[in-house]
Amino acid sequence: MPIEVTMPKLSPTMESGVIAQWLVKVGDTIKEGDVLADIETDKATMPMKSYEDGVIAIIDHKAGDEVALGDRVMVLAKKGEDPKDIAAKMGSAGGAAKKAAPAESDNGKKAADSKPAAESDEAEELVTTAAGGRVRSSPLARKVAAEARVDIARVRGTGPGGRIVRKDVEDFLAGKGAAPAPAPTARPAAPAAPAAAKAPAAPAARISTGPLQEKRIPNSRMRKTIAQRMLQSKQTAPEIHVTVDVRVDKLLALRETLNKELAAEKVKLSVGDFVTKAVAVALRRHPALNATFEPDAIVLRGEVNIGIAVALEEGLIVPVLHRADELGLIEIRKGSEALAAAARGGTLTGDHLAGGTFTISNLGMYGVKQFDAIINLPEVAILAVSAAEKRPVVDGDAIVVGNVMSLTLTADHRAVDGATAADYMRTLKNLLEEPARMLL
Amino acid sequence: MAVFSFREALNQAMTEEMERDDRVFLMGEEVAEYDGAYKVSQGMLKKFGPRRVIDTPISEEGFAGIGIGAAMVGLRPIIEFMTFSFSIVAIDQIVNNAANMRYMSGGQFSVPMVFRGSSGMAGCLGATHSHRLEAWYAQIPGLTVILPATPADAKGLLKTAIRSDDPVVFIEHEVLYPEKGEIPDGEHLVPFGKADIKRPGDDVTLITYSRSLKATLAAAEELAAKGVSAEVIDLRSIRPLDLETLVQSVKKTHRAVIVEEDWPYCGLGAGISDRIYREVFDELDAPILRVASSDAPIPYNKQLEASMLPSVPRILAAVDEVTYR
Repeated sequence: MPIEVTMPKLSPTMESGVIAQWLVKVGDTIKEGDVLADIETDKATMPMKSYEDGVIAIIDHKAGDEVALGDRVMVLAKKGEDPKDIAAKMGSAGGAAKKAAPAESDNGKKAADSKPAAESDEAEELVTTAAGGRVRSSPLARKVAAEARVDIARVRGTGPGGRIVRKDVEDFLAGKGAAPAPAPTARPAAPAAPAAAKAPAAPAARISTGPLQEKRIPNSRMRKTIAQRMLQSKQTAPEIHVTVDVRVDKLLALRETLNKELAAEKVKLSVGDFVTKAVAVALRRHPALNATFEPDAIVLRGEVNIGIAVALEEGLIVPVLHRADELGLIEIRKGSEALAAAARGGTLTGDHLAGGTFTISNLGMYGVKQFDAIINLPEVAILAVSAAEKRPVVDGDAIVVGNVMSLTLTADHRAVDGATAADYMRTLKNLLEEPARMLL
Repeated sequence: MAVFSFREALNQAMTEEMERDDRVFLMGEEVAEYDGAYKVSQGMLKKFGPRRVIDTPISEEGFAGIGIGAAMVGLRPIIEFMTFSFSIVAIDQIVNNAANMRYMSGGQFSVPMVFRGSSGMAGCLGATHSHRLEAWYAQIPGLTVILPATPADAKGLLKTAIRSDDPVVFIEHEVLYPEKGEIPDGEHLVPFGKADIKRPGDDVTLITYSRSLKATLAAAEELAAKGVSAEVIDLRSIRPLDLETLVQSVKKTHRAVIVEEDWPYCGLGAGISDRIYREVFDELDAPILRVASSDAPIPYNKQLEASMLPSVPRILAAVDEVTYR
């Protein structure tokens, strides 16, 4: 029996995946564990591995296609089966499943998609518009692309193994019409109505930095996911916000002491690391905050897995520090660093993103005084961390200068009541003001 | 311009140079009484006498050495090998003495001489008579290595070789001797280190030399019929190499195929493609391919022998591959 390979679930919240790049083609013999394709999920680009041995008989989708979870993406012939027979019998998965991704309709893909179906031979499957994968291209193609300021990864390769050659870049440019992505300093082509341009000519001359231009940036998958999840959170989770001011003089002193000792090891603890530790320890004492909300139950989670929001150029991603309450400060520092680096390098895997029970969003490095974060559903709370700064503090009857940071908990009131949230924040404040209590 | 055969062209070159310069003499097996194994020295004994056209026994190492000694004391010998396959017997003289002498003596001695003779697969001569050893000689600093492909180039290059103050390895292809071509009238010299664009084109550069020029030009003709414009470059001189002409051509066509009759492994094309890759990496739209002889001893059997050679179909296949057709 031929094996039908379907779109796997590569992230906990994934509903569909975009085939970023095929790494195999029809006729290839593959073994269990071979990587078949790079799949863009809602969170990251991940390898899709084969769980079977066989010869590829059918590939149902082109690179760039969005495929729903569980839909067929390819068919493997098993030993003794003729892939050609299977291809003839089983055909493609049908037009409906083949629909191209509506997203990212850049002209390169459009030009490629508009090719007549008859032309889509084997080479068609070998598209190299890789998102993260290695782009095969000739040196000349790279040079031409660089001169035209085109990201070569957007060009479709027609050479052997999908190699992008000069002609592909030139076709891409031709498909785009005039100059592609002009340099920011380039003047617009002035397509405006000539009559209108005549009347208020004056202001243009005053603006030395050049006119502001309307620019349309298509939403990336990550942006769409963020939009959808944030909206869902705001619409479904009635929020309660609880803010406390925390005096962190002792914490800062402790940090300085520890960092001196750790200097030789080249480890430098941040205030955020202490916050992560305190949040995790406090969650042990307040399991109601370390939970997920489901329509018929509140699930108190068995582990304390802290999601750490990382801002990327293209959006936001929340890799997870597992069992953070059991980690020492050095482990937290190193773990957070590794996660942030993987997030920025685009190498996060499903494990890095799964299993979060509580999220921390830290804008302290921007000097923010206080803000509210939006809950990362299905978690029930999120902590917004602001900058530690010198503020006047009432100490007894005197006003002194102290280091203070504001922490704001956003909790889902369906699961967490105000008192519960406040109690948690009191514990957290205590731990941060007397960091030695974290040892208890 | 009159038409002459390749062997006549060589004969003219030697005769003219011997008339011009009485230090020049010819020495080798059967060059005198027999008028040359391939009749290249026909009539020269009669014309110049046994002092300047000298028969030797089968003793390549010996007469190559005598030539080197003669050159060191001021004469200008032409040493003919019946085939370059036999030059292996004299390789110690050529590599250790001729090539090194100027360097080893700190410039006190020069070795103005020519080692010339036939080479290549000629038709059923077996493994020991058919070698293409140009890559061996081209690797040796101190040697100039010349492989003409046409009668005009044969004459002009051999005259330049005889006038060279350094040892020149001048490799003639056995199959080319009867080939005819126009030779410019009067004094005709072709400089070393200058490749010749035998056919201009825009889509792919075909680099070749010696006998393979013929198959390459035939392939270019077929390509033209298919709408592919191939530029055919005859290297003529493989050391020094005219890198500039190759670079300019590849900059224009962005693709190259090297057609060579020597063996593929560490063959001449390997060294040439290395140079091109380094010079014009960013201009390449495809890997440089090489069409060489099969990596095996040369068979005696005629069909097998023919199948080893770079042929028109093999050149066309390589061009298809680099032009992604």
